[in-house]
Amino acid sequence: MVRFENVGMRYGLGPEILRDISFTLEPGSFHLLNGPSGAGKTSLLKLIYLAERPSRGAISMFGREIAATPREELPSLRRRIGVVFQDFRLLDHLTVFENVSLPRRVMGEFESGYRAEVEELLSWVGLGNRLNAKPPTLSGGEKQRVAIARAVVAKPELLLADEPTGNVDPEIGGRIMRLFIELNRLGTSVLIATHDQRIMERLPATRIFQLIDGRVTTAQSAKDLVLAEAMRA
Amino acid sequence: MKLPSQSGLMPADSASGTTLHTIVAVMSFLACLTLGAVLTLSRLASEWTDGLSGSVTVQLLPSSQISPDDQMSEALRLVRQWPGIFAARAISREEAGKLLEPWLGEGNVLEDLPVPQLIEVTLTPGRPVELEGLGHALADGVPGALLDDHQRWNQELASFAASSEAVGWAVLLLIALATLAIVIFATQAGLQAHREIVEVVHMIGARDVFIATEFQSHFLWLGLRGGVIGLMLAAATLLGSGYLWDVREAPVGAQLLPQFISAPYHYAWLLFVPAVIGLIAMSTARMTVLRVLGRMP
Repeated sequence: MVRFENVGMRYGLGPEILRDISFTLEPGSFHLLNGPSGAGKTSLLKLIYLAERPSRGAISMFGREIAATPREELPSLRRRIGVVFQDFRLLDHLTVFENVSLPRRVMGEFESGYRAEVEELLSWVGLGNRLNAKPPTLSGGEKQRVAIARAVVAKPELLLADEPTGNVDPEIGGRIMRLFIELNRLGTSVLIATHDQRIMERLPATRIFQLIDGRVTTAQSAKDLVLAEAMRA
Repeated sequence: MKLPSQSGLMPADSASGTTLHTIVAVMSFLACLTLGAVLTLSRLASEWTDGLSGSVTVQLLPSSQISPDDQMSEALRLVRQWPGIFAARAISREEAGKLLEPWLGEGNVLEDLPVPQLIEVTLTPGRPVELEGLGHALADGVPGALLDDHQRWNQELASFAASSEAVGWAVLLLIALATLAIVIFATQAGLQAHREIVEVVHMIGARDVFIATEFQSHFLWLGLRGGVIGLMLAAATLLGSGYLWDVREAPVGAQLLPQFISAPYHYAWLLFVPAVIGLIAMSTARMTVLRVLGRMP
């Protein structure tokens, strides 16, 4: 589904943020992306959701070589990806309902076709009574849930989340993780960038990408990761 | 829970929107006023030259060889017989007095001045008249008679009207260019304030055309609303000036000045101003959004 081969990335003429990144995300897989702040997790996610271009190397998404894909065909690839941005990136002048339904709207669907699904999804994330609220009136946790609902509303094949449980209490965090696991069971590949230890402990058998100094290493589980870090120390 | 209808991607009311509205309204006001002035000048130029080229005047200077009454009747007879003359009418002393009133004031000034008698001659439209021959015939047949074919006036007025009209069009062009530049600048500033929206919608898979269409619709209506506000203010100003120019209110001599916009079709021309401004705002928004998107992967 996603394949990176020796990918490097730099912003402008600055130093290389990511170096020799190679990995594969298989359909239906569940991965965590771990690493300290500033390690390049967000930059790596940007490459995957096609917001940035690599400086070198090759990226393949859904069987298409990105470098050889015409720009006008990229929106159809982006629609197969759901993204939970770290800073939410909600549109303040739109209601919760309108923010969440935006991906369906840009696909050209009419409101009557997705209204019930969006309402159900918002009820599921505990925002069933805030459909008409605007983002500035929401708490950090509520904004995060709106951002998650927007990312999953179009049933993406790949879900990317940048610190999705950073601003929510443990109970809501647990519900969000259960939503991701449920989506994964239904066939969606999930990649979560996090340094939340609770998530890694809750998903003991999950493959973890460790990003340090712009390079990726792979661990088979949170336990392996802890062992590897202990050995490095 | 009842949901309101879907909002546009651009905020309906924002600080940049209010600023853009104001700027567009002011530029539309100036453009409408200038266009009104140019249309008035154009109409006047046409009226002056048409009016003068359709008529000539016979002046009857006092002569010791013939009495004033005989001089008038002989001149009228000669003129009315001349081929191509539609009508000839003696201008009474009262009428002549009224024509001179703005310059000489009221009173029996004509009795103290050797003012010539006048005959207003109307030419048959579309038919050539041998005016030079008529001038010679009058000079030979009626002592003191002089034909004024308005040629000198006509040329000077036509030249004055043409240069005034040219200046008006030049000012209108400058106003149009300034409007274009300001609307483009304000639209780009408005878009810059909402760059976040462009980026988010782009990232969730919207095609460039979808985003551009949303933005151009927003700016089309914004430009049209601002343009209509400016048009209404300009129309009120023009109508107000027309009222002040009204003969009942104007001072002596004001009848000779042009009235701002007298024909309803002039107002129809002004309707183009907000439409053009709306189209400029729309196309600027479209081009700017497509350029911003073009820099994104």
